[in-house]
Amino acid sequence: MLTRSLEAVILVARGLGIVLYSGRADTLVLAGVLAQTAANYDMPVRIFVTSFATPYFMKEKPEPKLPQEFMEWGQKMFEGMAKMKAPSWYDMLKDAKELGDVKIMVCSMTMEALGFSKDHVDPIVDDVVGAATFLAEMSDYEVIFV
Amino acid sequence: MSDVQPTVTVDARGVACPGPLTSLIKAYRKAKNGDIIEVLATDAGFKADVEAWVKRTGNELLSLTEEGGVIRALIKVTAR
Repeated sequence: MLTRSLEAVILVARGLGIVLYSGRADTLVLAGVLAQTAANYDMPVRIFVTSFATPYFMKEKPEPKLPQEFMEWGQKMFEGMAKMKAPSWYDMLKDAKELGDVKIMVCSMTMEALGFSKDHVDPIVDDVVGAATFLAEMSDYEVIFV
Repeated sequence: MSDVQPTVTVDARGVACPGPLTSLIKAYRKAKNGDIIEVLATDAGFKADVEAWVKRTGNELLSLTEEGGVIRALIKVTAR
């Protein structure tokens, strides 16, 4: 199923929208891989950062957490990635931005709720916006929620 | 296709996915039509990835082979 839908995204959709909601370590990696891959394929990418992913897009980041129920696999995965010298999720997003039309937006409502101001925002972020701004661009995008 | 001389070789051996494709694209952006890009990679996903990239961008995949765990793709730049 992943192969089919990935193929559909790559060949058909104009762009990729990612609603990045989870702040989990594994999810951040996934967002980095997908953004870089889409940029590789010359697809515009728009990432809407909201909820628990928000703190990781501030200058001072907490340590990303692994879900308790997948702790064993999570540790194994990150050890393996370190051995492979795989880049971090942050570097993948930075690479994606250098490579193509990739924009990262942070949800203004979540930011305010968590007590962050524009001064806290990491330079990797392009804008602080409402969901409407993100959705308005999504009419011919494939949107995923991670 | 072994007689084809690449214009540029991208060595992405040991680079994790999606790095090899990114290396290819960085070379592609500097290339011109008619150039041949050779990519060497060890990431298992690279075979399918490069095929999808060629399909999407309309460049030409001259050959895609694997020997001793090293995948070798020869791409003719036609869509610049």
